[in-house]
Amino acid sequence: MADDITISFDGQEFKTQAGKMVLEAAIQAGVYIPYLCYHPGMESYGACRMCVVSVEGGRGFPASCTLPAADGMKVQTASAEVNDLRKSVMEMLIAEHPSGCLTCHRVDICGPTDVCLRHVSVNDRCVTCPKNERCELKDTVRYLGMNLESPLNYKYRQIPLEVADPFYDRDYNLCIVCGRCVRACEELRGDDAIGFTMRSGQALVGTSFGTSLLESGCEFCGACIDVCPVGALVERDNKWDKPRTVERTICPLCPVGCQLNVEYDNEGKLTRVVPEINSPANHGQACFKGKFGLQFVNDASRLHSPLVRRDGQLTEATWDEALEVVATRFAEYSGEEFAFLTSPNSTNEEHYLAQKFARSAMKSNNIDQTSNVQPDLTRALEQSLGYAGATNPIWDLEKSGCILVFCSNVTEEHNVVGVPIKRAARKNAKLVVIDSREVELTRYAHLWLRPAPGTEQLLLGGLLKSVIDQGLQDDEWLAENCESPATLYYALSALDLEEVSKVTQVTVADIAEAARLYGEAETSALVYALDNIQPRLARDTVLSLVNLVLVTGNLGKPNAGIYPMRSGANEQGAWDVGCVPDRLPGYRRVSDSQDRQEVEVIWGTTIPETPGLGLTQMIDGFRDGQVKAAFIIGDSPNFSNGKLGDGLAALDNLDFLVVCDTFLTDAAQRADVVLPRATFAEKDGTYTNLERRIQRLKPGRELPEGGARSDWRVIRDVAHKMGVPGFQLASPSETMDEIARVAPIYAGISYRTLANQGGLVFKTDLTSPQPTQVLYASREDRGLQWPVLSDGKGTPILYEGGFNDRKAEPITPAFVAAEDRADPDFPLWFVPGRVLLQQERDIEIVKGRRNTIRRDEFVELNPADAASWSITEGARVEVDMLIGRLAGLARINESIPVGVVASTSLFGQLAVDLQGSEEMEAATRVPGLDIRRARINKIG
Amino acid sequence: MSGLEQRIHAAVHGQAQPTVTVLSSLLAVEDELGYLPKEAVEFVANFSDTTVNDVWAVASFYPNFRFVPPTEHVVEVCWGASCHVVGAMAAFRSVLEAAGMEAEGDRPDNRVAVKLNTCLGACSQAPVMSMDHHLAGRITPESAAKNVARLLEQDGHGA
Repeated sequence: MADDITISFDGQEFKTQAGKMVLEAAIQAGVYIPYLCYHPGMESYGACRMCVVSVEGGRGFPASCTLPAADGMKVQTASAEVNDLRKSVMEMLIAEHPSGCLTCHRVDICGPTDVCLRHVSVNDRCVTCPKNERCELKDTVRYLGMNLESPLNYKYRQIPLEVADPFYDRDYNLCIVCGRCVRACEELRGDDAIGFTMRSGQALVGTSFGTSLLESGCEFCGACIDVCPVGALVERDNKWDKPRTVERTICPLCPVGCQLNVEYDNEGKLTRVVPEINSPANHGQACFKGKFGLQFVNDASRLHSPLVRRDGQLTEATWDEALEVVATRFAEYSGEEFAFLTSPNSTNEEHYLAQKFARSAMKSNNIDQTSNVQPDLTRALEQSLGYAGATNPIWDLEKSGCILVFCSNVTEEHNVVGVPIKRAARKNAKLVVIDSREVELTRYAHLWLRPAPGTEQLLLGGLLKSVIDQGLQDDEWLAENCESPATLYYALSALDLEEVSKVTQVTVADIAEAARLYGEAETSALVYALDNIQPRLARDTVLSLVNLVLVTGNLGKPNAGIYPMRSGANEQGAWDVGCVPDRLPGYRRVSDSQDRQEVEVIWGTTIPETPGLGLTQMIDGFRDGQVKAAFIIGDSPNFSNGKLGDGLAALDNLDFLVVCDTFLTDAAQRADVVLPRATFAEKDGTYTNLERRIQRLKPGRELPEGGARSDWRVIRDVAHKMGVPGFQLASPSETMDEIARVAPIYAGISYRTLANQGGLVFKTDLTSPQPTQVLYASREDRGLQWPVLSDGKGTPILYEGGFNDRKAEPITPAFVAAEDRADPDFPLWFVPGRVLLQQERDIEIVKGRRNTIRRDEFVELNPADAASWSITEGARVEVDMLIGRLAGLARINESIPVGVVASTSLFGQLAVDLQGSEEMEAATRVPGLDIRRARINKIG
Repeated sequence: MSGLEQRIHAAVHGQAQPTVTVLSSLLAVEDELGYLPKEAVEFVANFSDTTVNDVWAVASFYPNFRFVPPTEHVVEVCWGASCHVVGAMAAFRSVLEAAGMEAEGDRPDNRVAVKLNTCLGACSQAPVMSMDHHLAGRITPESAAKNVARLLEQDGHGA
């Protein structure tokens, strides 16, 4: 912690820390100094000169954003001289900024439905600016008390509006070239999709050769929009709507746990999403899904009433009727005949109630989440280390010396985790990516290992062997914290790197270099998922990754560790509270009688002792009739994307199916009773994100009684109807209190302790109806990272004090490649990729009602394959993948492994599709990058 | 590699000076091609390990860079103080008329570009114009028009 120093603003003394700039110290102290180019979280820039101050004994008027605070400094923030200087700067800015909203004498009395007739010219009526009354420039002019009389003394630049891109509207006539957007894109996101163009009077923001954002490497995260002080950059949807209420909640789309300030209008319509700047998981960032994919809560096709199947037809019913049917029919089944699937975006409290319902009311351990297709992601992690969760906070990654990303499309699936990774890679950290697909992070990687599909586990063996061969293991740490790795070393000694290289098609030199980068760095972090890893190899693969972390001693310290990338928003929480077939809350084992008894005492009932079926086995159980009745919360793409076979057909086979969902989805259409489900925007509860952080969701809109209800209430009411004891809970808060009693890792959690994590940060100007400049700065909500013991303290980094009276266990996996069950009809692997920007590739924007992208796709293949299929460079080919085809021009590329055809598409296409989608919850159905069996044909 | 790409490659890699920057690389391409095509911006971005948008920020900052192929001929009329007081504007209007143009810029058929220059550095000969970098001094509106007509009779580079 830096030393405290004292600084005075306008005669009043405040404490601050050395190293802070004067403007930052002022914001911290709640003293307002106007600023336009500064933005919390970014480096000071010193461009706008609006934050000038005078310092006693100092010369001139320094910009406070670039003036380091010093002990005893006496700052005048608003003297007459300073204000005059600011006014003259402002006059220059608004010389080219439409300013009718500032000069109209009716501004204060004009109502929303008033027609503006003659006071202001058409171009600059305040209603033509989407940021009207949310504009930082306007606030600043008002603060300065400028006397602007004529609305006609500015020069309109007549720059055409940029509307070709998805999600964004850009009107550079309103731009004041503060550079926040350019810096946000470069400094905060590491993307550089926009830059400054031209200079002096013509200086603006734009892209190379004025291309659309789709071509310039934009990931549509919205960071530029969030920082724009004026109306130049805005979200297209609901662009004219002003928020009536703002509620901070957690994004339900992925497990990063971004805190979002969600804005609602008078009628409760969700209009806009602004990521919270003081949040621990996302640091003010969001992604295209969170920023633009949450509008589904407004959808008119949402279910508003329960439906009960009568004479084969789903017909409307009251809640009481529907719950009665559910309770009566469920009572006919018990034990293994019943299965419960929760949604990955259910809250902790809902997951807890669901598993309690399955276990105590239905006496069944058949409980899982619909997203849990890779249950092995954390099983081996827990077995080796003790806890099934990421060991370090997400933003530790920014300070890691080396980051290894394994088979994880982070920038799309967990976008905001990609932000610290990119930022680290652009500074000093080494980024190593292991993936056969060309994902965005390969563009930032210092080393990209591209193994042949199915050989990833063998490659990890090679990597481990190389670590040991180069003497990069941390023997001291191992001796202290780990069981003997002798068996592992023995297994590795049998590996031949040349052989590994031959099978994986990664050179020995690259393997050694990856091992060196990972092993030599002061701290190395490992981020992994199991994308395209065969389920049979999943456990071994995770063990290899854990072993890599163990032998290099990258555990129990800041900026190191291992991060499993789960898929659903609250999958971590679901596992924590026992919403899995073999675990009770707090990872107690179903098969362990003592664990079971401790829970049974609290619940006052018995729990079946055999572990239940997981998602995949459950679907098999539906098919073969072993499971007869099911309760499913939320549809899932996994029912229809082939990961569970034909999951929807399996649902048809059930005797009785209850689906609680927001829309009449494919799963809901197959149900006997459909219960309308509340979304995240209407829910109270908590999520646990992938860094084990428990954060609070808060409802921002209400639903009419009789309409959709939260899962929490639905499960409780079904239990009441069935007369099951143990569900006399009045609120999610009370449910959390019970979780704290049952799950030791949550022992210190309650809504009260959560509310006390983090206080007020920047003070807001409460006199303004919409204080724009410090809008995001009211309260800080840091959540708590489990294990939270009863003292209410969280654990940001696991294993800092060792492994709880035991040692970590390096378990030796089999270092093998997947068996190549060659399919003579489809002998190749199709490996898709998706990146933000592909240079040397021209794309065409097809203008229409919704603009789309058109370009020739390239199909890349190894020279050996090209020869054996007699395909020449530039030939038109078609890749046939059984479920689909892709046509393109052949490109022969030696870096593509033999037996693989690859094609890399442009991320922009995804953004276009998401916006143009007719799907009700489009963001959750963004297609992943699955490797598939394929064959290649010449066409034409 | 296409011919264009080869020339860009050779220009960027052929820089002899010890310090090679984004700007020096852009200048090298501009010297070689007379303009900066999209390929050059992409090449320089890769070469200097930065992004196209950053290179574009540098390239568009300087009015000296062109982004479309150069015209066959370039006519410049000096508009320095000395030339101005002895009638540069009249000569400029005459040049525009002779070229069949209305304002500074490239003629749409790409045969000629007419520009004003802040100073061609031959003030003693004012008013001065240049045809493809060859100076002509003490011009009159009539001689200027003749110069342009004579220039346009010649083929440009290989056209």
